[in-house]
Amino acid sequence: MIPSLRLATACKAGELAGRISVRLGRGRGETLSGRVILALDPKAISRLSHNRDIVLVSGTNGKTTSTKNLAKILRDFAGEGVSTSESGANMPAGIASLLAQKPRSRFAVIECDEMYLPEIYAQTKPKVIVLLNLSRDQLHRTGEVRKVSNLWHSAFSKDDVTFVIDRDDPFLEHAVSQAGHVIRVSFNGRRHPDAATCPNCAAILDWSADDYSCRCGLGAKLPDVRSDKRLDGPQRNTVLIIEAARLMGAEILANEAGELIEQSPDRIHEFSASGRKVSTHLAKNPESWRQALGDVEANQIVLAVNARGIDGRDTSWLWDIDYSNLLGKKVICTGERRLDVAYRLSVQGVDVSVASSFAQAVSEFSSEPIQAIVSYTAYQDLLAAELGLTTGKGEAK
Amino acid sequence: MSLVIVRLYHDLLGTYGDQGNAEILMHRARARNIDVELVEVTPDMSVPRTGDVYLLGGGEDGPQAAALDMLKRDGGLNYAAAGGATVLAICAGFQIIGETLPDSEGKATSGLGLVDAHTIYDSSARSVGEIVIEPTRGGLPVLTGFENHQGLTRLGSEMPPLGRVRRGIGNGFDSREGVWHGNVLGTYMHGPVLARNPELADAVLQCAAGPLRPFVDPLANALAQERRTALSGH
Repeated sequence: MIPSLRLATACKAGELAGRISVRLGRGRGETLSGRVILALDPKAISRLSHNRDIVLVSGTNGKTTSTKNLAKILRDFAGEGVSTSESGANMPAGIASLLAQKPRSRFAVIECDEMYLPEIYAQTKPKVIVLLNLSRDQLHRTGEVRKVSNLWHSAFSKDDVTFVIDRDDPFLEHAVSQAGHVIRVSFNGRRHPDAATCPNCAAILDWSADDYSCRCGLGAKLPDVRSDKRLDGPQRNTVLIIEAARLMGAEILANEAGELIEQSPDRIHEFSASGRKVSTHLAKNPESWRQALGDVEANQIVLAVNARGIDGRDTSWLWDIDYSNLLGKKVICTGERRLDVAYRLSVQGVDVSVASSFAQAVSEFSSEPIQAIVSYTAYQDLLAAELGLTTGKGEAK
Repeated sequence: MSLVIVRLYHDLLGTYGDQGNAEILMHRARARNIDVELVEVTPDMSVPRTGDVYLLGGGEDGPQAAALDMLKRDGGLNYAAAGGATVLAICAGFQIIGETLPDSEGKATSGLGLVDAHTIYDSSARSVGEIVIEPTRGGLPVLTGFENHQGLTRLGSEMPPLGRVRRGIGNGFDSREGVWHGNVLGTYMHGPVLARNPELADAVLQCAAGPLRPFVDPLANALAQERRTALSGH
């Protein structure tokens, strides 16, 4: 079959498979559609990327939100069609599917799983890669943060792509140290909890004044952009996204950038449970839990923790977090690993109990505000319940 | 009664929440009215020689090599262990207290030699997953944990393991898991192993503090039981 015909057939079949999957109530159909496309044309991602301006977004935290945000900024400021994934599908099948959906739009903003980034980078030949941050996440699957940093370091060489990175993160600085074009953004430094030693040479990193340096030279390159305000994680991601949008030709004035940073989207969703509205943070790893705990204001807190594959099957990371923000509050834990998190909190002296479901936990609270922090699949379960879907996993046992 | 707990290079050896073990020991000691002092040893400090319990956690290859190098030069941990101090060494820490282990390039290097154990790196898949062991010493129930390691560790014939593997990999040779030699305890059950095994936490405390008053923490016991039931039906 000639290549273009093979691709067209693959895309048509993928679209059909996706529609059937949606009709059967199996979700959005992106992954199935992408699997069909890649089965019929293994080079589909590369072919669908041809002659398009592509941005890849990767990192531990904020990928989905930043990808959506960048797609919106490009639509608003560059006035061009943008292909992007709405659902956070970030592996090859999901990426093939999103590229096939609007094959004629000039821009594609692609969220990419950390482990697949080298492969997707080679296939899509992007103009820009945004690297948001790297910290401990799903150790059973991706391995330690240094392994991801080294994987990227070996994959990124001198070519036409431009990287936009938070240079305050030593793992990102190491990842791009052989790359040709890098926009380094600094937020005036902050101690990285996983980077006691140098990702490049393994010496003890010198952390003074919240910035790092090493005898091997890591961290010596000056930043291209400095952001002087104190920014939280989502805001830092917006600053990086704005730099990427500018590289793609969007004209964003300083005051407009300020507004975008101010309005940085966060992964907070209002769920209804037991007749109450609960402001809920999605938090998946120690760093995102720290951020979510920093935002806690209510005195009644629900924490929901599962340990299914995508959550990380190992709950050890719960001990990496300082929960002192919860002292003096009433906390109810739910989810399949509620005892793991409840015991951890009790050792820190937090007033904690357990409940068999999210709704049950909510129903035990008074009419005062409630906030929740939930892990990935617990969040998906809440979303599914809200949409009237069943995930087949049910609520906590 | 008072205890000094020494947490060694937590920034280097704390990849899997291992610092939780110090918090659990303190919590369970204080519940028995034992005063506890935690000494947090950072790379710029020397290791105290008069601590009662020394904790070593898991770490990535580079940080593990850096920690081993510092511990060898300092000598404090070897001094304390020779004097009978209690040592709980997890994962990379377990490898460090043995006779030999691979350095960050994979070549064999000497460890601290607190126990007769030799670690090699196996090129096959990492050992990752839940682990269940039958403890060797009496008085302990089945222990559960999570392991995530590349190395395989062979114990000398005189070295009693912490337990026999019922599920999972453990040391990777025969069915032994960890080591428990005198007051030195090593294990691949990483992270907050003591959270899931309160009886083991008390056994470690007893090495340092002698017999303990009874203390029942319902939440700790519920977690331990829930894990045992989920993994082995016990």
